[in-house]
Amino acid sequence: MVDQSIAGPVKVMANASEGDRSGRARIVILLLCLGLVAAALLSLTSGASDASAVNVLSDWLLGAVPNDAALSARDSLIVYDIRLPRIILGMLVGAALAVSGAVMQGLFRNPLADPGLIGVSAGSSLGAVAVIVLGTTVLAPVTALFGTLALPLAAFFGGLATTLVLYQVATRRGQTSVAAMLLAGIALAALAMALTGILIFMADDRQLRDLTFWSLGSLGGATWAKIGSVGPIIILALAAMPFLARGLNALALGEATAGHLGIPVQRLKYTAIIGVSAAVGASVAVSGGIGFVGIVVPHLLRLLIGPDNRYLLPASALLGASLLLLADAVARTIVAPAELPIGIVTAIAGAPFFLWILLRKRGVVDL
Amino acid sequence: MIEARDISVNIAGKRIVGGVDFEARPGEVAAIVGPNGSGKTTFLKALSGELAYTGRVILNGRDLSAMKPVETAVHRAVLPQATTLSFPFTVREVVKLGLVGGRSGALPGEDARLPERALARVDLDGFAGRFYQELSGGEQQRVQLARVLCQVWAPVLDGKPRYLFLDEPVSSLDIKHQLIIMNIARDFARRGGGVVAILHDLNLTSMYADRIFVMHRGRLAATGSPQDVLSDELIDKVFDCRLRVGVLPAGNMPFVLPQSAA
Repeated sequence: MVDQSIAGPVKVMANASEGDRSGRARIVILLLCLGLVAAALLSLTSGASDASAVNVLSDWLLGAVPNDAALSARDSLIVYDIRLPRIILGMLVGAALAVSGAVMQGLFRNPLADPGLIGVSAGSSLGAVAVIVLGTTVLAPVTALFGTLALPLAAFFGGLATTLVLYQVATRRGQTSVAAMLLAGIALAALAMALTGILIFMADDRQLRDLTFWSLGSLGGATWAKIGSVGPIIILALAAMPFLARGLNALALGEATAGHLGIPVQRLKYTAIIGVSAAVGASVAVSGGIGFVGIVVPHLLRLLIGPDNRYLLPASALLGASLLLLADAVARTIVAPAELPIGIVTAIAGAPFFLWILLRKRGVVDL
Repeated sequence: MIEARDISVNIAGKRIVGGVDFEARPGEVAAIVGPNGSGKTTFLKALSGELAYTGRVILNGRDLSAMKPVETAVHRAVLPQATTLSFPFTVREVVKLGLVGGRSGALPGEDARLPERALARVDLDGFAGRFYQELSGGEQQRVQLARVLCQVWAPVLDGKPRYLFLDEPVSSLDIKHQLIIMNIARDFARRGGGVVAILHDLNLTSMYADRIFVMHRGRLAATGSPQDVLSDELIDKVFDCRLRVGVLPAGNMPFVLPQSAA
């Protein structure tokens, strides 16, 4: 079957290394690194306050004394304690969501798999909300034992449980059914949201305020403390993913063939599921449900550099981080001095994109 | 040497393969033939470690059930009947996946050129930059064979023979490419490797196989050289067809046999 959209625009490639896109992938990754730096600087200098990161940076670099010391102290506070942690958190969450999407798509052998779409984020939210609402009562021993880690851990186990159930339902003898995966995802998301609803019903007013951002997603609560608790989890999960790249490439041929090529398929699958659950769980724990990053980013990159996970995974991390920073910059400035939840921004940009993928892929994605 | 003793496979409580003894020797092409549903593919899947079986498979002196995927991948490569891809890989990227285990056996530094050479062998020169999903079924099958050849490029590694498992390697190919692929298998065996191929064409089988294993209703109906095995009685019993071996058609009815290839 000939499908123009998945084939992409490039039909004939250079002669000697015909069909080898690794050179182009390296260049794209380099450009994405520069793009991320640019996006971070843009985020650092824009916001509801007129605090100038340029002043703070020049302070820091040149040791220059600015004309108004009081204003500079306020700027420095805004930049170091509000914008900088928010930017770092945004990069971590964006990278985690995009890489998780790419890994799940490789695992399910399907370009439509996304932690947000198939219920993994909903499962993580359930875990996180359970800790917020029940943390002082039923789950008090858990929060006492794990402290600030209780929230990301609960989100991790929520996501892990969802992914394991999903994989069992959707996969039969090495073949994943797209229809079963999406429908099982809908059912699991509905169940997780219903249980979350019960918890919200039980919540008091203060907890309700804490909970509002879960439904929409926001980086607004970023602090150095939060980065300290979820940053290591996300970094660890992201660091493990490159080791899966070759196995995920082979998995594109099917589980049996990947096994024949020498890939330990069971171990690969469980490592991928645990890694994705950790990354998504940690992201959801700090920023709620930010959708569509996991599906849009890997899809765009596959058109550009092909599906080789050795390049796709790092490129997804970079582009996911950049795009989330840009989305957050939009969320912070578009209705300033108020702030739009970032989940709304990613959904408004991502949902039409997802429909576009479906339109172009109709006939290939067999539902 | 591959030795399989008393292999049985049950799927969902139904016995698909029962008590099959099998041997594949280096230097030989072993063909598995039999009607549809006789258990050929299931048996090959047991032999490649993909399906659970009872009995014993010895692969180059080691018990298959005690070997890890990364170890069996050194000793044999498997070509399935058809392979669909979930992402838009180029032909070169698919063929390169054969090198993922890193034991092609080619000279140091030659691995990078193997995809080109493997594609040339299966008559797909110039296809490296094409997208796999855009190719015809027969072309896809040859791309997969090129990938499999990369995995066991040297038929002998560390003094041990390696094996090609081919499940209907020529079923979707035109006659020219049937001959090319069967000659690749023949050549692999000549250079010290072993080949296990499921085939449907009895003419190709008698032309290329050193030894035939005939399967019928999950059991082994006959084993031996083509001359010994392919008889009127066996074909009648196994394939339920009153065909006669070695009889020319009457009158001026044209017939074309692969054996006539110059």
